Amino acid sequence: MRIVTFATSALLAIMLGTAADAHAFLDHAEPRVGSTVPTAPRELSLSFTQKLEPAFSSVEVTDADGARVDLGKPSVSASVMRIKLKRLSPGTYRVRWHALSTDTHTTEGSFTFQVGQ
Amino acid sequence: MSRYPLLPFTLASIVALACTTDAFAHCFVGARFFPATLATDDPCVADEMSLPTASWSKTADVPPAAEWDVSGEISKRITENFGLSIGETWSQIRQPDGSVAAGFQNLETTFQYQLVKDRSHEFALMAGLIVEWGNTGATNSGLGTSYSLLTPTLYFGKGFGELPDTLSWARPFAVTGQVGYEIPTSSFDFTESAFIPQQAVYGASLQYSLPYLKSEVVDLQLPDFFNHLIPIVEASFSTPVANNFGNPYTTTGTINPGVIWVGGYFQVGLEAVIPINRESGSGVGALGQLHLYLDDMFPTTVGQPLFSGASAAPRKMTF
Repeated sequence: MRIVTFATSALLAIMLGTAADAHAFLDHAEPRVGSTVPTAPRELSLSFTQKLEPAFSSVEVTDADGARVDLGKPSVSASVMRIKLKRLSPGTYRVRWHALSTDTHTTEGSFTFQVGQ
Repeated sequence: MSRYPLLPFTLASIVALACTTDAFAHCFVGARFFPATLATDDPCVADEMSLPTASWSKTADVPPAAEWDVSGEISKRITENFGLSIGETWSQIRQPDGSVAAGFQNLETTFQYQLVKDRSHEFALMAGLIVEWGNTGATNSGLGTSYSLLTPTLYFGKGFGELPDTLSWARPFAVTGQVGYEIPTSSFDFTESAFIPQQAVYGASLQYSLPYLKSEVVDLQLPDFFNHLIPIVEASFSTPVANNFGNPYTTTGTINPGVIWVGGYFQVGLEAVIPINRESGSGVGALGQLHLYLDDMFPTTVGQPLFSGASAAPRKMTF
């Protein structure tokens, strides 16, 4: 009984006492991952599960021919990264992102969304 | 009244905490995350701890005995690519007549080296040497042995993220596996009056990652709990291949369907254990594990390699 109580309490203490950040994982995106939007978005927004290091986090958006359709540098605020987009014509677009959380864990990913199809 | 009144509270607290730590961790290879598997090992050197892993099954004896195994394992990176694991298992075997044998199995250590982590192909390869040290377990109960076992092992993991758009639904699939050759340090067991075979030990997992589906393929806006699940089927086998005089060369093993819930700092796995034949056990057993990501829990201390300092400096990401 005492061992179980001690072990579980210790485990809980470890969990609750852990203030460290973990890997930054993509929580949701706008336009949504794999979605089709009727009108061309002017901006892509990526929300992560952890705060990001702006200098080491990046994103690019390309069209079906591989041409860049993003504008300027992404802006990072806490756990959200945004980037402006050129005027998009109907088609499929690929988003590739890299993220560095504030505790130096890196993650990356990619997905597509469609406009007006 | 429960015998352990704090246990439900603690478990509830962990679940509650899990709901607030909405991140993922650990064995990342590009966009792919390989969770720690229960019956086999994942293909990454890492700082992690499995505590506890518990299993219940019925042995292949006639009539079968009931067996409980409770184990713990801690893995530590020595350098960025080289790691060491230490594990211990306590077992209890209850015979139908009520007699009980209990004690520790031999101490197990594993030396692992990360050979490949190919981010673009979601591919990982790792080499290892598993050593079960003789005379470190309960030899009198038959749970430990007087001889050691050496098992050079190759581990691999491959995600299906490169599949074409027409098969995008299958991209969340991944396979992991391991192949090893178990060599005893003695060829004959005088206690059992039997030859000790050399064995091929191998296993694999097929997994479907709902976190990968959500972030890489399509966000179905499922309830958050489901976005953390990785349904999985594991298989683990051993086949005598040499020094097995007088015994059948029968493959034994189990098929383990189950699911892993992945959180920010830990994961929880639960699997059924189905013997592949009568020699592998009797009836369906169960296997559960709580696995902690030490590199995410303690990123600046325990979660760092012992040597070579901190992890490689952050890279400026450019396209």
